[in-house]
Parts: sequence; C-alpha cells; structure tokens
Amino acid sequence: MTNATLNAPAVPSRASKAKAPSSSAAAGRKILVSSWLIVAVVAAWWFGSANSTNFFIPSLESILEALVRDLGNGVIISGAWYSLSNLFVGLALAAFFGICGGLLLGEVPLLLKIVDPIIHFFRAVPQAALVPMIIGVFGMGQGPKMGTIAFACMWPILLNTIDGILGIEPTVRKFSKVYRIPRGLHFRRVILPGATPQIVAGIRVALPIGITVMVVSEMFASIEGLGFYILNSSATFKVPETWAGALLVGVIGYIISILFVLVEKRILRWYHASGAQ
Amino acid sequence: MKESTISPGLLWTLRIVAIAAPLGIWQLVIASGTMPSMLPGVEKIFSAISEALGQAAFWGGLGKTLLAALTGWLIASVVGVVLGLVIGSVRFLDNSTSILIDFGRSFPVLALMPVVIMLLGSNTMMEIVVVALSCLWPVLIQTIYGARRQEAAVADTVAVFRIPPMLRFTKVLLPSALPLIATGVRISSAIAILVAVGVEVISQAPGIGRQITLMQQAQRWDLAFAYLFFAGLTGWAIALLLQQAENRLLKWKRQNDD
Amino acid sequence: MTTQAPVETTMETKPLLMKVRGMSMSYGAGPAENKILENLDLDVEYGQFISIVGPSGVGKTTLLRCLSGLLKPKAGTIEVSGTKINGPHPDLAVVFQDYSRSLMPWMTTRENVAFPLQGKGIGKAERNKLADEHLAAVGLEGQGGKFPWEMSGGMQQRVAIARALAYNAKVLLMDEPFASVDAQTRFDLEDLVLDLQHKLGVTILLVTHDIDEALYLADKVVVIAEKPATVVDEIVTGFGETRDQLATKADPRFTEARARILVRLRQD
Repeated sequence: MTNATLNAPAVPSRASKAKAPSSSAAAGRKILVSSWLIVAVVAAWWFGSANSTNFFIPSLESILEALVRDLGNGVIISGAWYSLSNLFVGLALAAFFGICGGLLLGEVPLLLKIVDPIIHFFRAVPQAALVPMIIGVFGMGQGPKMGTIAFACMWPILLNTIDGILGIEPTVRKFSKVYRIPRGLHFRRVILPGATPQIVAGIRVALPIGITVMVVSEMFASIEGLGFYILNSSATFKVPETWAGALLVGVIGYIISILFVLVEKRILRWYHASGAQ
Repeated sequence: MKESTISPGLLWTLRIVAIAAPLGIWQLVIASGTMPSMLPGVEKIFSAISEALGQAAFWGGLGKTLLAALTGWLIASVVGVVLGLVIGSVRFLDNSTSILIDFGRSFPVLALMPVVIMLLGSNTMMEIVVVALSCLWPVLIQTIYGARRQEAAVADTVAVFRIPPMLRFTKVLLPSALPLIATGVRISSAIAILVAVGVEVISQAPGIGRQITLMQQAQRWDLAFAYLFFAGLTGWAIALLLQQAENRLLKWKRQNDD
Repeated sequence: MTTQAPVETTMETKPLLMKVRGMSMSYGAGPAENKILENLDLDVEYGQFISIVGPSGVGKTTLLRCLSGLLKPKAGTIEVSGTKINGPHPDLAVVFQDYSRSLMPWMTTRENVAFPLQGKGIGKAERNKLADEHLAAVGLEGQGGKFPWEMSGGMQQRVAIARALAYNAKVLLMDEPFASVDAQTRFDLEDLVLDLQHKLGVTILLVTHDIDEALYLADKVVVIAEKPATVVDEIVTGFGETRDQLATKADPRFTEARARILVRLRQD
C-alpha cells in the first residue's frame, strides 16, 4: 500500500486537491468520534428505561413528554425566566463589586495585606449556608435571592481580579509611568484589559457556584423558579416532571457555559492570538 | 505598585482594626434599629460562638457534614483520577467523551438532588452521592488535562524501555499529571463543602447546614451566625491543609520549573 | 534466508549484531507523501562504535526513532541478533538528546536508573544495587539520592547514560546526546562514553550533526544526506582504541576524513 515510489514529484495544486476530500472525510470522522457516545448513552437510557417498573425511574419517553408539555403550557418558561433573571442580576452585581474591589485591592498592596485574612475567610464560607440566613432575614422575594447569588459569586471574581492585576507585566506599568499616561486612562486602557483574562476566568468559576446557589435558594424557599418546579414536582410525586426539571437545569447550565466560552473567545481574542497564556 | 514595607506589628494592628470596624458598624446598625429586628448584636454572636463550642448538636452537625463532604470528595477524587488518566492517555476515549464531560461539568448536580432523594431517601448516603457527583468533574477534567500534557520525551522513554502498562500508569502518568490533579482536588474540596451544606439546607439530611436552618427557624439567629462562622473556619482550614500537602507533594515540580 | 542479500562492503567477516535493509520512511500518502528516508542499509558489528552524521533536518532523528522501534518504517527490515524487530526491543536502549525531559523529575537519579529494571521485573534490592553500580560507572558514585533537577546538564546526561547501560541492552542508540551541553562537558562526556564502551564492550550507534564528534568517537562513520535521506558514504576511521581530544583530532587521517565528509555533504 506504500508503493508510490514511481510517482512524479507532486505539484502543490494537485496535492491540495487530493487533500480536500480526505480532510472532509476526516472532519466527518471527527464528528462521529465526538458524538457516538452521547447517542449511545441516550439510546441506552431510552431503551433501558422503556419498560421500567420502578416508580422512581420513569421511562425517558415519559420524562420528555412531561418536559414538552410543561414547556408548551408555559410553566417551565416562566420558571426559567424567574431563575435566570435571579442568576444574571446576581452575577452582574457580583462582577461589578468583585471587579471594582479587585482593582482597588490589586492596586493598593497595603490594603490587600490588611484585608487578606478577611477575604480568605469569606471565600471559605460555604455559600449555600448563606441561603437560610439571607432569605430568613430579608424574606423570600427575588431581591434576597439575587443578593445571595451576588455574595456567593463575588469572591472568586474578586480574588481572580486581584491575581490578574498583580500579574500584569512590570514593564507595562513602567511604560505607563514613563509616558505619563493619566491615571484614568492607565486604569481603563492598561490595568483593566491586562487583568481581563483572569477576571473572565473568575467569572467562569463563579458561574456554576451561582447556578448552584440559585437552585438551593429556590428549593429552600420559593413558589417560583426551576428549583421550585423540581422540588414541587417531587413533593407531589410527579416523578417524570422531577426528572424533566433536573434535566432541563442541566441543559441550561450547559448552554450557558457554551455561550460563555463563545463570549470569552471574542473578548479575549488578543490573549489567545498572542499566545500569552 | 511600590512594595509596601510595614512592620508586622503595625500590619496586625491594622488587620484587627479592619476586622473590628465592620463589626462596630454592624453593632451601630443593629442599635439604630434600621435593620430587621431578629439580627443579633456582635456581643450576642460572640457569646453564641462560645456556646456552640459546648454543644453536642453543633459538633455532631459539623462532624456529619465533614464526614459526608470528605467521603464524597474522596470517592470523586479516586474515580476522577483513574478515569481521567485512562481517558486522557487514550486519544479515542478523549475525543469520544469530551461532549459528555462538558455537559457533566456544567450540570448543577444539586438540581438532581430531589431525584437522588427519591431513589435513596433523605439521608447521609444521598448527601454523599450528590457531593461525589459534584466533585467528580473538576478532578476528572484536570486529570485529563494532566494526562494529555505528557512530555513526548517521557512517552518515548517509556516506550523504549518497554515499561509495562501498570507501572507506566502508577509511576509515570500519575506523577506527571499530579500538579494538575492537585488543582482539581483542591477545587473540588471547596465544592464538597458547598454542596454538602447546600444539601443539608434544602433536605432533611443531618449536618451543620441543617443546624443553621433549624436555628434560624427557632429564631436563634445568634447561634445561626456562630455556626456560619465555624463553617467558614472549617472551609478555610481545609484549604490551608490542602495547600500544605500540595507544596510538600509537588516539591519536584517547583524545583523543575525554576 | 540472508543468502541472496547483496554484500556491499568488503568486511563481511565479523558476525552482525544489527542489520538494516532497504529501510524507507515517509509521512502522509499518495501525491502528498513526504519521504524522509529511502532505501537505507546499515550493518552494525558486535562491539562497534558507529556514528551517523548528516546535516540538520536531514532526518537523523526519524532514522534513530525507526532504529529504536519507536517508529515503524514504511518499508524494509531491521534485524537485531538475527531476529526482525517490530517496535522497542530489549536489546536496544536509547539515550535521548533532551535529558532534562527524558529523566523523570519526580524520581531520584537512582529511581530513574532502576525504573526500566523494575519494568523488567527485577526485585527492588537487586535493581537498586545495579543502579548504584551504573551510576558509579558514569562517575556519579553516591549521588543516587539526588533528584535530576539538582544536577547540572552534564550530570543529568550521565544519569541517562547510566540508565541505558543498566538496562543491559546490546546496542546503545544515542540521539545527539551531547548537543545541549557546553563544550568542555561535551569532551568529558565523549571520553566517558568511549571509556565505557571499551570497558563494557557495548555496541553504540550515535547520531550527530557534528562531523568532529562523529569521527572522534566512531570506528565507522556513516554519512547520510539528500532528500529523501540515504547513505552517501561510509568511512572506517581506524584510530584504534586509545583516542585523545587533541592528538586524534590532529591526526592527518582525521583531517582527511573530515574534508571528505564536508565535500560529500556540500554536493547536496
């Protein structure tokens, strides 16, 4: 199969033409390799649960039926809207305070040294334990839930922002100083972009924490949201609905993380292109 | 900017001031009566902290939380490392599992909890399962990165000297992936505590999270704050302990990077 | 079955330890095929020191990877002690150029040397004894407890040599082993390798781009060049057993052989 020794030296255009079909075949194989396991898992679940007699393990078919029905009648949509608005407002608050606080602490090392133990203590508090406290004090409205998510997500963003600022090349700082860049401009155009990769990484860490706290807060005390939908379904023994809700939260988590990666790629183009990582 | 040089004595004084100032503000706010009346004052929280130390319920709750978190975390670490080394070192498996693993890691496992409760009941066993499922992903993903990143020269050496698969697994793949595994294990230790407490807050599983909820419902806010304080302290202690262990275990790594 | 193999050299007297016939290697297939090695023959006698020299980028590393069984050639055969090999073989050990990466940083030097022996199933006491002996042989007596990263580059390469020797292979393959150390260390390591070869009677095949190094060390220098690479010349040096960094390199035969190789390589 390797006896190609009598061939004339390949002309580049011919070589690339010959390559084209083989590379599309390779792409097809790649898709096949990366997706067969998903198909196999779903198929195994579908057929394995089809004749399930266990009350608590309904067939995948009935789970999907419940999902489609409650998507159609708006129950899930309004729940998802409630949950996601809590999540995004909480995350936005966390990002705002985390980044501002991080910029301040990163630029003033003395202050960082002083509050360092406090930050590490608060970061170590299991954020889920805050749920009964905050909701107990401020009630079960949307505001306290957003506040809990914000508080829980702030610490990784804060710490990463500090790391990002401390990691900025000293040469870049010197440049800023030598050229007498005004303070505001220096902050906006040098420090903030320089720390952006770390800040984005911090938000990536915060995202699953936020989703977890969101679910806990709705399961703890709520009459709305996806967490409530799941818990309420299980409390009323609507088993397929319970599975459907859990599955949906998983899919939403997956979609958010994919969107996040896309946004990250866009924001950090310079970072990935320069090979700085 | 400039490296600040202040004496350790002054630093600690400032730190104490930094801790005392918000506590003072807290006390003033409580005294002014602008906040909901159930919030306890600082002195009440301090006395509750010492009260908690003498309570069997507190120690029992803390112990149960730690037991569930540690067990789930250990199971996840072992499973994650073994699976990760296998997946990361076999190209086909790596490509095949990538979507599934991406899905798994972004899946908020706590949402599955009601399902797990239906299957296992509202107990420590269920808590361990939820913790393990949550902790698995960081360990698994970091281990895969670690196994993937293996040096070509090391792979050649292993091939030339015909190192048997088992020996290669334990003496080459595992140590070379260890720096990244350590990161995964550290991340998941924090997740373990977070999820264990979360499970206790929303289910009947016993533990410190359950104790906080019970105290809050019984209007013992001072004790609830005290428990929260100890929960934070425990998380901090675990983070420090792991950092120490990592530094010792990976001495070769830091030297090698110089 | 070797009766009809054509004999191209006149010294078919000693038994052959390693025999390579018609080896070709390429990447890709069809019109886009990139040929690296073509129709390469090589004879290695017992106890011989052979240098393979060629310009940078000619495919020396590919050649060595094929010889060591790390790469499977597209065509041709490699025999060691009369048996064909398909992949890494216990009679072959390799010393890589990149010592700092081929030694495992999480193992002490003793563990590094003993590791392939553990793979062979040798007991702990025995393999540690062997490791210490071979560390002593390369001049690292009593250094078994150190980690590679606590040592200089030259010392690390000595550890790699000790590891290959302890494996007790018949042929030592060396891929530019001294390319990443300073000149003085390089001379020391060259003399160490010559000395070990005479003491232990091991057969060595060394790949290098350095003509002086190739000539100084070898009994036979094989010159490879062209694209795809093939053997363009073979020179039997005949300097005997004792060599000296100054005297040998000043030998008229040395300068003559060097000129011949340079001319040969310039023709490409």
